[in-house]
Amino acid sequence: MHELSIACEILEQVMATATEHGATEVKHVTLQIGRLSHTNPEQLSFCFKAIAEDSIAKDADFIVEMIPPSLECECGYTGPIDEKQIQENCGFTSELLAYAAVMDCPICGKHARITGGRELIIKSIEIETENQD
Amino acid sequence: MLMLMHVINMGHDVYKANDKVAEKNRKKLDKHQVFSVNVMGAIGSGKTTLIEEAIRQLKDKYKIAVIAGDVIAEMDSSRFRKLDVPTIPVNTGKECHLDAKLVEKALDEIDLDNTDLLLIENVGNLICPVDFKLGEHLRVVIVSVTEGDDIILKHPMIFKTAELAVINKVDIAHAVDVDAEKMRDDILSLNPNVPVILTSKHDWESLETWISFIELGVKEVQKK
Repeated sequence: MHELSIACEILEQVMATATEHGATEVKHVTLQIGRLSHTNPEQLSFCFKAIAEDSIAKDADFIVEMIPPSLECECGYTGPIDEKQIQENCGFTSELLAYAAVMDCPICGKHARITGGRELIIKSIEIETENQD
Repeated sequence: MLMLMHVINMGHDVYKANDKVAEKNRKKLDKHQVFSVNVMGAIGSGKTTLIEEAIRQLKDKYKIAVIAGDVIAEMDSSRFRKLDVPTIPVNTGKECHLDAKLVEKALDEIDLDNTDLLLIENVGNLICPVDFKLGEHLRVVIVSVTEGDDIILKHPMIFKTAELAVINKVDIAHAVDVDAEKMRDDILSLNPNVPVILTSKHDWESLETWISFIELGVKEVQKK
């Protein structure tokens, strides 16, 4: 359970950006989370709300976009994994395992290197400011 | 008063921020020619024991330091100190993993000019340490047969990203009704190129294989 420390980091970054832009309220925080990372979006949102209680981000909602894994193979292929294979692997007990099991190159079938899918990116925030005009 | 809405792009990657500190750690270790090992694994998998064995066999040949990460790190640290090696306990408190910043701080307390090998014991679990690089040269995962032979497929990412996998306590596999070979096959199905070794603290030959892997790394780094 490391969602709390990650939520702290997110709040710190969000508040710095919001303050810099003169925000009176943070409405949304858009996150991009890699499917292979061990971050639980619901827990993260819960922790964020708990620590943001006294801040202008207290009512902010999380918008979560999941990032599919991507690969780099010695044959020269760089790009996403074969999503079709994931569907064929639906018998797997967990989504993470289904993804981890298809890390072979969709072109040549060799074991490829993971280049994406483990991120946790604060993509953007939506803030409210007072109109100074 | 009129309120205005804005979308501000940030693009801040929380894990990348950790990776950057990890890279800094790695450069520092390389500069001092210190080979570093991140030892991950569940509670009770035998991390501390296998590190102790490595220290016992290698401490006359190389200068060794240890970072012992744990929720309460003092217990394992005192085991390492008994072997006369400098040990830095890193209390993670409520945290379930070491991260690059904690290691960066610990490195300040180690005399790197007088260190050839740094053994880092991560907090015991198979999930949280995966996402946090420390700057290590070798990522090791230790799993024991007592965890059951379905444990590997339940935690794919740690085995997928490991550079050495150790299946420990194989001497009692039969007693706990576990097939160590199935565990090996599961690891290789996730990560076909990773070396997998089977160990038991009562089988000297198996420990030698574990220790030789570490020694190989120390020699590699010293050649540079």
